[in-house]
Amino acid sequence: MSSDPTPLLQASDLTRMVNTTAVVDNVSLSLQRGDILGLLGLNGAGKSTTLKMLAGVLTPDAGQITIAGHSLHDDPIAAKQQIGFLPDQPPVYPDLSVAAYLKLSAQLRRVPSNHLKEQTDAIMERCELTEVAKKRIGKLSKGYQQRVGLAQALIHKPAVALLDEPSNGLDPQQMQSMRNLITDVAEQSCVIFSTHLLSEVTAICNRIAVMHNGKLVHNQRADENLDQLQNLFNELVQKESGSAIT
Amino acid sequence: MISTIAKFESGTLLRSPQMWAICAVIAAIFGYLFLQSLEEFLKVQPSLALQDHPPGLTGFLSARFLATLSPLFSVLGPLFAMRSFSDEFRHQTMALWQSSPVSNASLVLGKFVGVLIPLLLLALLAAVMPAAMGLIVNIDIATLLLGALGLLLVAASCAAIGVYFSSLTKQPMIAIVASLGVVTLLWLLGGASFTNPAMLALQQFSITSHLSGFFQGYVQSKDVLYFALLTALFLSLTVIRLGSLRNSGNQ
Repeated sequence: MSSDPTPLLQASDLTRMVNTTAVVDNVSLSLQRGDILGLLGLNGAGKSTTLKMLAGVLTPDAGQITIAGHSLHDDPIAAKQQIGFLPDQPPVYPDLSVAAYLKLSAQLRRVPSNHLKEQTDAIMERCELTEVAKKRIGKLSKGYQQRVGLAQALIHKPAVALLDEPSNGLDPQQMQSMRNLITDVAEQSCVIFSTHLLSEVTAICNRIAVMHNGKLVHNQRADENLDQLQNLFNELVQKESGSAIT
Repeated sequence: MISTIAKFESGTLLRSPQMWAICAVIAAIFGYLFLQSLEEFLKVQPSLALQDHPPGLTGFLSARFLATLSPLFSVLGPLFAMRSFSDEFRHQTMALWQSSPVSNASLVLGKFVGVLIPLLLLALLAAVMPAAMGLIVNIDIATLLLGALGLLLVAASCAAIGVYFSSLTKQPMIAIVASLGVVTLLWLLGGASFTNPAMLALQQFSITSHLSGFFQGYVQSKDVLYFALLTALFLSLTVIRLGSLRNSGNQ
């Protein structure tokens, strides 16, 4: 953890309505450098909507978001330069090669032209994509496509990385590499990643938040009240489906 | 940033085999129409010589060849633009743009310029055919360039209509049908013989009444302004549409 007390991500009272239902209800988060927040919840809990709001893809109906000191509402360009976002479906173009796609992603994130190649090569190496750099994304397996999606989110070394179910489609070895990558990234940034697997968040997160029906029902450090978290999550799972999946 | 997006968009178009097939057909149509116009000129040349101020070869080709291509360019605009946003929705790639430090206006302008690049090349190709006659006879290049500008302006405004409709739907076919509906209406307004003053005023919004000058060797600022405003209107509507997507979340 850095000694700098200014949060890299500050979200207060985020609310998002669909018709008259709040799919995200008064959610507040504050993350500092070094924080890895696991956003845990069942399907439909509001995790993806929360991440989309934090990434500037959706506008909240109420609440404020500040990224590295820039308001996402008042200064969206400066704020988004500090955001890396991997949606639940990696936003990749099947007809582009991996290298061309990552170059485009870097240009969109305003990476200076003299650093384009260096940063593209570096992220391909970190995401183990170098060997498929010249292949068309459409020809790659789901796991590789997910890693390309992860690479585009991290290519510009964002202050805030927002990853929606980043382990989708990854095999156990790739999942471990992804965890290592997230831990590395969090040395200079903060990371939020969503999942519905408790084991995944306990493996790498230093903070855990649980969402249920759009509300944040738990938000603590990972080393605090782990039993309570386990019970809460099991209760939610049983309430929804009658069987635990942890 | 606009140039990066434009390069990506035109690259996407130029990588598509369908695009090259369309261009091949268009080049063949250009060639056929050009030769037909040339033959027609040779046929009517003796009777033209009897007129006080007969049109030269350039004027004839501009009026008969380039002007004939303008309806084709008003179809090409929406055809090239129909995938600009609808494909992003279908492939779920909008999140890449929406989470990047790119304003909606830059995104729309970049996509529009990207669509415009192949249209510009086709407009130049259309002008190059009659310009090649300059190797054997005197040709007024300025008249030909004015005709190419007319083609480009009509294509640009129709492409802007296409970009707008592509931002409304995931289906490119729906986008092009809706765009061509509006384009057809804009063409038909000029052809109708209205007597009602209100309906006569509507004719001022037609493409026809603002396009003919470009192929007769003169251009009025109001005609250029008409196409510029038509383009700006639909691009602005697209920017508003993208803004509303962030609020509604429906893509």
